[in-house]
Amino acid sequence: MATQHSRAAARIMIAPSVVLLLAWMLIPLGMTLYFSFLRYNLLMPGNNPFVGFENYAYFVTDPAFQAAIVNTLLLVGGILLITVVGGIGLAVLLDQPMWGTGIVRIMVISPFFVMPTVSALVWKNMFMNPVNGLFAYIADVLGMQPFDFLTQAPLASIIGIVSWQWLPFATLILLTAMQSLDSEQLEAAEMDGASAWSRFYHIKLPHLSRAITVVILIQTIFLLSIFAEILVTTNGGPGTASTNLTYLVYAESLLRFDVGTGSAGGVIAIILANIVAIFLMRMIGKNLDA
Amino acid sequence: MARAVTTKTKAINTAIAWTIAILIFFPILWTILTSFKTEGTAIADPPVFLFFDWTLDNYATVQERSNYFRHFMNSVVISVGSTVIGLIIAIPAAWAMAFVPGRQTKNVLMWMLSTKMLPPVGVLVPLYLIFRDWGLLDTRIGLIIVLTLINLPIIVWMLYTYFREIPNDILEAARMDGATLRSEVIYVLLPMAVPGIASTLLLNIILAWNEAFWTLNLTAANAAPLTAFIASYSSPEGLFYAKLSAASTMAIAPILIMGWFSQKQLVRGLTFGAVK
Amino acid sequence: MTTKRTLMGSAVGFGLAAGLATAAIAQDTTTLTIATVNNGDMIRMQGLTDNFTEQHPDIELEWVTLEENVLRQRVTQDIATSGGQFDVMTIGVYEVPIWAEQGWLTPLDNLPESYNADDLLPAVRGALSQDGQLYAAPFYGESAMVMYRTDLAEEAGVTIPDQPTWAEIRTAAEAMTDEENGVYGICLRGKPGWGENMALIGAMANSYGARWFDMDWQAQFDSPEWNEVLTDYLDLMTNYGPPGAAANGFNENLSLFQQGKCGMWIDATVAASFVTDPEDSQVADSVGFAQFPNKEGVDNRGNWLWIWTLAVPAGTDASEAAQEFVAWATSQEYTQLVAEEEGWRAAPPGTRTSLYENQEYLDAAPFAQMTLDSMNAVDTSAPAEGEIPYTGAQYVAIPEFQGIGTAVGQSFSAALAGQMDAEQALQSAQQITQREIDRAGYGEN
Repeated sequence: MATQHSRAAARIMIAPSVVLLLAWMLIPLGMTLYFSFLRYNLLMPGNNPFVGFENYAYFVTDPAFQAAIVNTLLLVGGILLITVVGGIGLAVLLDQPMWGTGIVRIMVISPFFVMPTVSALVWKNMFMNPVNGLFAYIADVLGMQPFDFLTQAPLASIIGIVSWQWLPFATLILLTAMQSLDSEQLEAAEMDGASAWSRFYHIKLPHLSRAITVVILIQTIFLLSIFAEILVTTNGGPGTASTNLTYLVYAESLLRFDVGTGSAGGVIAIILANIVAIFLMRMIGKNLDA
Repeated sequence: MARAVTTKTKAINTAIAWTIAILIFFPILWTILTSFKTEGTAIADPPVFLFFDWTLDNYATVQERSNYFRHFMNSVVISVGSTVIGLIIAIPAAWAMAFVPGRQTKNVLMWMLSTKMLPPVGVLVPLYLIFRDWGLLDTRIGLIIVLTLINLPIIVWMLYTYFREIPNDILEAARMDGATLRSEVIYVLLPMAVPGIASTLLLNIILAWNEAFWTLNLTAANAAPLTAFIASYSSPEGLFYAKLSAASTMAIAPILIMGWFSQKQLVRGLTFGAVK
Repeated sequence: MTTKRTLMGSAVGFGLAAGLATAAIAQDTTTLTIATVNNGDMIRMQGLTDNFTEQHPDIELEWVTLEENVLRQRVTQDIATSGGQFDVMTIGVYEVPIWAEQGWLTPLDNLPESYNADDLLPAVRGALSQDGQLYAAPFYGESAMVMYRTDLAEEAGVTIPDQPTWAEIRTAAEAMTDEENGVYGICLRGKPGWGENMALIGAMANSYGARWFDMDWQAQFDSPEWNEVLTDYLDLMTNYGPPGAAANGFNENLSLFQQGKCGMWIDATVAASFVTDPEDSQVADSVGFAQFPNKEGVDNRGNWLWIWTLAVPAGTDASEAAQEFVAWATSQEYTQLVAEEEGWRAAPPGTRTSLYENQEYLDAAPFAQMTLDSMNAVDTSAPAEGEIPYTGAQYVAIPEFQGIGTAVGQSFSAALAGQMDAEQALQSAQQITQREIDRAGYGEN
């Protein structure tokens, strides 16, 4: 259908984006790759000798490495689970007739506008702090020992904080999709005597499947590199309980200033992220083509 | 449509929805309230909700310590600038991908998205060196460049999925009428694309406004936006909940208000082509 | 549709206008960009700079105030890559000799006569000089000591001597703990970091006769001394410490102590002026002080020394103005200014002999003598007992220490959080430390 002419025009139109992103990917990435083969510590300037794969070996044998991989997956998985399930629930709820929909919607989406640093600071200090936090007070009222969230359950706490930030995003997209559902179909099902649950399960949920994959894709992109929340709340600890791959790379390159090892870690993180990406793209690609 | 809903069902829905909404919103509300308390009241046991002596002292203290307005302007310039430039680059690309799809289109798109998975910490030092050599450290231009690039994939993708929803028939009809590519874009496509572009714009302003890694690491004093402003309140000595709340409120208020007022536009295009 | 267009239009216009407006400001004066940490004393300095800019109308000051860890990362990254973002940097005594060695710091050879470098405390001046040349000006200095609640001690019937032992501290902590009323016998740092929990545990180790390395650079965490250090630390904190201690650093503990939730707090001497400040502290009237504890039979009181200094990076193009500022902020005149504005108690401590000879200060600051004694007791050339191949204090003065200290701090913090026992934490510390130090090639020659 498209003519030769318009194809050429299309290429020219796509070119700036592709060239820019290619440069963005290749220049810093190329340098990262180069640094990853050098012994390069910012605190010890010198001739930065070539050391082959030493940095990689060192990074992978770091006792924190395995924990970091597991934590990264747990973080992404946990947050996706909470936001998708919660998002579906909220979307169904907000789709119902009620009074004050506008205000309810504004309140529900608000967390999405809050900077990660701010939300981490607020949750850490004003809610989860075991002495002065609001949760500690509530526990006290209920006659329980205050629970020390960031020490006893650091990863779960971070999952909670980040889920709070991303739940609105999932809700919004799922709600938009929900509202595009043909209401006649639902009414017909209702006439046939289908229960609310079966209407949800057989009509609404399949309709949402594409929106769900979109939510998963977009969020995964952002969640793989969660950083600010960890830095502010737990510094990756206690021990390595909340260190993810991004944080481990940070610790190497900016706490130990070992740019060589940090770069090796960065390269490994990029490779792993791309594995996840390919996996996701397969899934999404199938779903989006349909 | 006329689904009969009893008042009772509606009341129950309302009650549940409001309860959940208030719970979700509560941390923000609590932060705003705390910002008007004294440091002593902020940690009072039992906590006080509304009935305390409201004070603006914390805002005064925060303003005295850091120049809020400059940080605010930096945030505005950087987030709006990077988004607008991103749109200028992305609109043609998304248009071409949506209306003249080739065999490689989907792959190109997926590749673009995968660049977004680059962990920022991994490339900070190289980028810092590049910025130093090009004199871009602590400049708004430098940050606009970085934020444009990191958000470009999302912009392209959002626009692409939105453009794809525009029925091709209309374009065909316009072409039959002998419309040039130029007029096709200006008179037919753009008006239909506005909601998608508007919500892409809004979403990206939000993402850029809240970006806290590059903005903190590539700036010092001149170009530091609100994310850097909040970094100096992360754990000062002594009691600081009220001051932290005031600084937090100042940092999030502009984008929160923008979000509230534009939520309809934001939602309209936030479909990522996921609707059907 | 029109509303949307205006929305977009005005947003763009807004952004462009703002960009143009600031680009047009003419530059006639020297602008100093100062990176500093968000501690109370630094924030006070920021508030008092009108005094400086009045004297120097041609110098403008720009502040970058950051939390300690973020600050350290930002300035180190900038100086090591010659980024040139800052004209004055706030750095610690740990960095000064290492950075001076690399040629990263401008020697402070341009200080005005009135600066009177001979007035600096000898230990402080020594720690900041290289071959007799001063490389950074001390803003305030600190050692560590015990701060305790005299009222609670009396109530519990314990006395804390001026030179307590760890055993006496334990007894007192036990007696003062009253969890029903939210009072914890002892607050110590638990937040992981070489400048956080490892500062305390490092000093504690010195006072137990433990050391980081032997003469062959072999890590010593498998020694009985270290075992005792960590076991006692965990015992104190789990039985008599506040909940969430594994996340508490200096600032968190300060806030707890000010709220009256700690019986004792062993930390930097600089905290004394905050806990005795009636405006911020609810317990200002009833704070007593004692020296850092030692283990019975070990003649070492921790050797904790920390100095926040102002230094001028070598790459700056405003070196002269920067030195003028540094001299002002660390001068006797500045101390006088703080005293006039905020009272003598708030004067930056631990840098100048003259402060401790000033009767007004001694009257206003009940902690002055204890601070001076603690500082004078420090020996940075031999921080630990036994033969050691390093200098330092609560830290080891090698570039690798930041990384090692933080990783070890993570393990100890995990032990405090109950994720592992002392034995496992020490093993992991031993392994991490040896791994890093071998990689850096210390033991090889």
